[in-house]
Amino acid sequence: MKTKRFGVWAVFWAIGGMLYFFLPMYGTLDFSLRMKRGVLSLMSYQIVLSDPQFLASFRYSATMGIITVIISVLIFLPTTYWIHLKLPKVRPLVEIITILPFIIPTIVYVFGLIRTFGRPPLQLTLTPFKTDILITAGYIVLSMPYMYRAIDVGMRSIDVRSLTEAAQSLGANWLQILLNVIVPNLRIALLSGALICFATVIGELILGDFLVRPALGPYMVQVGRDKAYEPAALAILSYALTWACLGIMQFVSRGNASQQQLTGR
Amino acid sequence: MSFVELSHVRKDFTGAIAVEDFNLNAEQGEFISFLGPSGCGKTTTLRMIAGFEQPSAGTITIAGQDMTYVQPNKRKVGMVFQSYALFPNMTAAENIGYGLKVTGKTGSEIKVRVAEMLALIHLEEQHSRYPYQLSGGQQQRVALARALAIHPKVLLLDEPLSALDAKIRVELREEIRRIQQTLGITTIYVTHDQEEALSLSDRVVVMSQGRIEQVGVPFEIYNFPASEFVASFVGQLNLIPVMVVNSAEKLVKLDGHIVQAGRISDKFSHDKPRLAVRPEELRPGHTPGQNNLCGKVESINYLGSIVRVHVELSGLVFSMDMFNETNLAIPKVGDSYNIHFPVDACWLI
Repeated sequence: MKTKRFGVWAVFWAIGGMLYFFLPMYGTLDFSLRMKRGVLSLMSYQIVLSDPQFLASFRYSATMGIITVIISVLIFLPTTYWIHLKLPKVRPLVEIITILPFIIPTIVYVFGLIRTFGRPPLQLTLTPFKTDILITAGYIVLSMPYMYRAIDVGMRSIDVRSLTEAAQSLGANWLQILLNVIVPNLRIALLSGALICFATVIGELILGDFLVRPALGPYMVQVGRDKAYEPAALAILSYALTWACLGIMQFVSRGNASQQQLTGR
Repeated sequence: MSFVELSHVRKDFTGAIAVEDFNLNAEQGEFISFLGPSGCGKTTTLRMIAGFEQPSAGTITIAGQDMTYVQPNKRKVGMVFQSYALFPNMTAAENIGYGLKVTGKTGSEIKVRVAEMLALIHLEEQHSRYPYQLSGGQQQRVALARALAIHPKVLLLDEPLSALDAKIRVELREEIRRIQQTLGITTIYVTHDQEEALSLSDRVVVMSQGRIEQVGVPFEIYNFPASEFVASFVGQLNLIPVMVVNSAEKLVKLDGHIVQAGRISDKFSHDKPRLAVRPEELRPGHTPGQNNLCGKVESINYLGSIVRVHVELSGLVFSMDMFNETNLAIPKVGDSYNIHFPVDACWLI
């Protein structure tokens, strides 16, 4: 009798949770399909996807996302590796630093960037290219908690020290160890970090808005101010992109039995 | 000049001395074991030879070259780890060939050498398997082949068999010895298992608290231990408090009996003299011309091929080991029991 009651409540809460999450999404989806009166159509999606401004802003954000991912990996991978190998005592301090983007509001951060880099000697706001450098740095900082944590968790699941020493004893230098031994065993962690980093950049608003760059976030806000159905379509597209990223992560992490680390213990 | 030379090597870790005044000369082709309890400094010493730790003092020379401060990837020393440390993203063949690949060998050279190594460890059929698809024993053999593939000057093994079950351990250690003798490679083996050390080694270095207690061939270490630590760590040992009657004649008193010792140890303690005798030297019964004692059976342990009888004499307990033969006359607990042992089988410590 007790087991039955527990099962009923579990089903109740599961359905309730799903309704709470999916009902608004269904409402948004339904609204986005009703641009043509009386019929369900993809007109709002067609308008959004054929809008040159949307394509330009998506291209811009996607490019910035890829650049952010590459630079983040180049910074955080060797850093995390060195911390695991040689400086484990520094880890608590680094963890505090990496959660600062959660503590400091982005609006405060962007004002700091503008004050510091908006005038000589480090003026980076005069040209689009230099502003792109500034916004990329901003994206790297914003996505730092996700990228660092993903790599850190990945490193904890492999015996970094033994693998490094084994490779060293065989004659490998640091670069060879990183590329041949460490990175291949962190593929899933790196992919997770990269996809979350990419999704963060795609959806980011404040940096793009205040630094006046043609990012996707400010475009979505602008569309939302002037139009009705198109913002709903954009919201659904944004969800779809995020879920696609998560789906890729799930698919890749499921299929890799060979990545299991056996230590003989 | 020795092939591997450690001279006055010391290692401190923020105040704690892990290895102190370590001196060792290993000849070409020799198999040396570092034996001792956990924390005695044997792995730290091995890691200093490999280059993963830097000595606080002293020098390490390999094949006439000072390697004390040379990077580990430049020493050409093959190492087998306790955790195997096989690269999970590579197959057995790729693991074995990795050292050749990073040092710029051609594809065909790598292929030939990998095939040789796979044949040496009898794992030709498993060349394309990943580590997670291999058993513990197979993984350890791949780790050994990987270390040997690069033609190392010295082979270092850090408790390579400790994670394996007893039967596989015996099989693999024989294989390690066979391979080492075939290739004639100088090998240093770290273990806390005395059976491994004694069966594999040309010489054994017994360590305790960062220091060398004794270096010698297995026979010497077992039969002529230089200190109480070596005597009690290597094999079982009866250490019985006695009263010295005549030190020149090596006569002592034990439970009212006069016992003749065969020799006096260099580290004999005048304040706390004790008689040392191995359990396998004791025999049941009374034999003229030997040391004869009479006590009471306290307990009996069946250890498979060995039966261990504990005989109590006025609060002192002797352990006696006998082979578990079919016609063995096993006493009962509480029985009065005679035991004897040869004079030269015991010594004062």
